[in-house]
Amino acid sequence: MTAATDNHWYPVAMVSGIDAPRETWLLGKKITLGRDNGACWVRDAAGNPLTVTERFGHLWTSPGQPNRALFTIPEADTPGRRLVDVGSVRVKCSPLRAVENFLDIAHFPFVHTDILGAEPHTEVDRYDVRIAEDVDEVWATKVKFFQPQAAKSASGGITTEYMYRVPAPTCAVLYKTCPPRPGEWDIITLFVQPLTEEWCEVWPWMALYDDASTMAEMVSFQQLIFMQDRSILENQIPRKLPLDPGMEVPTQADMTSVAYRRWLKKIGYTYGAQLVAA
Amino acid sequence: MNWIAVGLKQDLPLGVVIPSRIEDTELAIWRSASGEVRAWSDRCPHRGMRLSHGFVRGNALSCIYHGWQYSENGSCAYIPAHPKLTPPDTICVPTYDCAETDGVIWAALQKPLGAPPAVSSRRPVRSMPVARSARAIAAYFNAPQSTFLEIGSDFDVALALQPCTAAHCVVHALAARGADRKAVSRWLEALRSDLEESAP
Ligand code: FES
Ligand SMILES: [Fe+2]
Repeated sequence: MTAATDNHWYPVAMVSGIDAPRETWLLGKKITLGRDNGACWVRDAAGNPLTVTERFGHLWTSPGQPNRALFTIPEADTPGRRLVDVGSVRVKCSPLRAVENFLDIAHFPFVHTDILGAEPHTEVDRYDVRIAEDVDEVWATKVKFFQPQAAKSASGGITTEYMYRVPAPTCAVLYKTCPPRPGEWDIITLFVQPLTEEWCEVWPWMALYDDASTMAEMVSFQQLIFMQDRSILENQIPRKLPLDPGMEVPTQADMTSVAYRRWLKKIGYTYGAQLVAA
Repeated sequence: MNWIAVGLKQDLPLGVVIPSRIEDTELAIWRSASGEVRAWSDRCPHRGMRLSHGFVRGNALSCIYHGWQYSENGSCAYIPAHPKLTPPDTICVPTYDCAETDGVIWAALQKPLGAPPAVSSRRPVRSMPVARSARAIAAYFNAPQSTFLEIGSDFDVALALQPCTAAHCVVHALAARGADRKAVSRWLEALRSDLEESAP
């Protein structure tokens, strides 16, 4: 393991779900987490305390010295949003494959058929992608896609606009047109805990404007989507994300994935990555 | 002889794709609407998704992840995200020789020498996974190098062996035309027990 991997923040639990101490994995090593007198803690296998922070409904930790504070999502703090802890899904794939899939819209008609996409509306128009050097994040903007049912609160098909942001190697934030409030963005995140290089725990979290749906409805809608994604993620070969060009064939619709891989390479983040063509 | 049985015709209807393997090579075996059988690498060149999870439309195989469509020679014919684009010839799935004779589907990872084994007057009965290597089964019948064993017995059984792993293979069984299928099946189950119990 290298500093490039250790010095990041990782989600390890939903704060509301922490009661008795329990074991989990982070970057191939066992850790223990729990709560004493209201304060959450994480310890490594030797019992040493790791740095922690609580944010976005989740407990975050780092095995190293994080070189910066956990990213923020200022929009999530605006009043009127409902914060949804979705729970977790364990997936047998590289944490990086899980993030890359979250950044992908071209699969909607085939994997989330009649929910997030439907044939014949398969075309992906050109959108903007950049690595924002000032904050060192990947951003994709002006992403548009036709969706039969974009959210639990949507009735009928609409063209949805998206922005994607990768603020940390195993985290992604999606800003999405909000059906009940034109001009505002719903926020859906994917926080990925790397258990090992080929096994991860995915913690989706949402901050939505939706007064109509129950919490249970919003959770089960998102869980359905992630179960569909899991059937893909556990069947990609290789399980690790190839960072070198040549092994896979990107097109214009994959510009976010291309930028994400390039950025991982630039910051030297190779946990869960495959570097030489097998 | 490098033809290996990878399935039986009766288990692969029109428009269906199934996973299979020959040792470390994972295969997607599929039958087009017009009935042709193909054996391809089980990996989509786009993002590595298993093609055996895909779907057949007409005479093309589509990947389930982003719907890329591959025509019968393995080349990519259509990318749904870019409907106006003609995909470059360089995008193609590795394909293998595949043949279907007398109800058995055969594939060859290298250029095959000659035709698949003659099953003569037998007909396929069933495919059966066995927790022994193909090599061990061939050795059990004193035919160490062979992947097509003509056993005889009351049913004139022949076994086409599909090597999968060091501890696992699939046996495709054929028997005389008039043989009672249930009786052959019982004979096979007994053989499987013998083989698995004789494992070291
Ligand atoms: S992985 Fe097959 S179409 Fe994208
Ligand atoms: Fe998805």
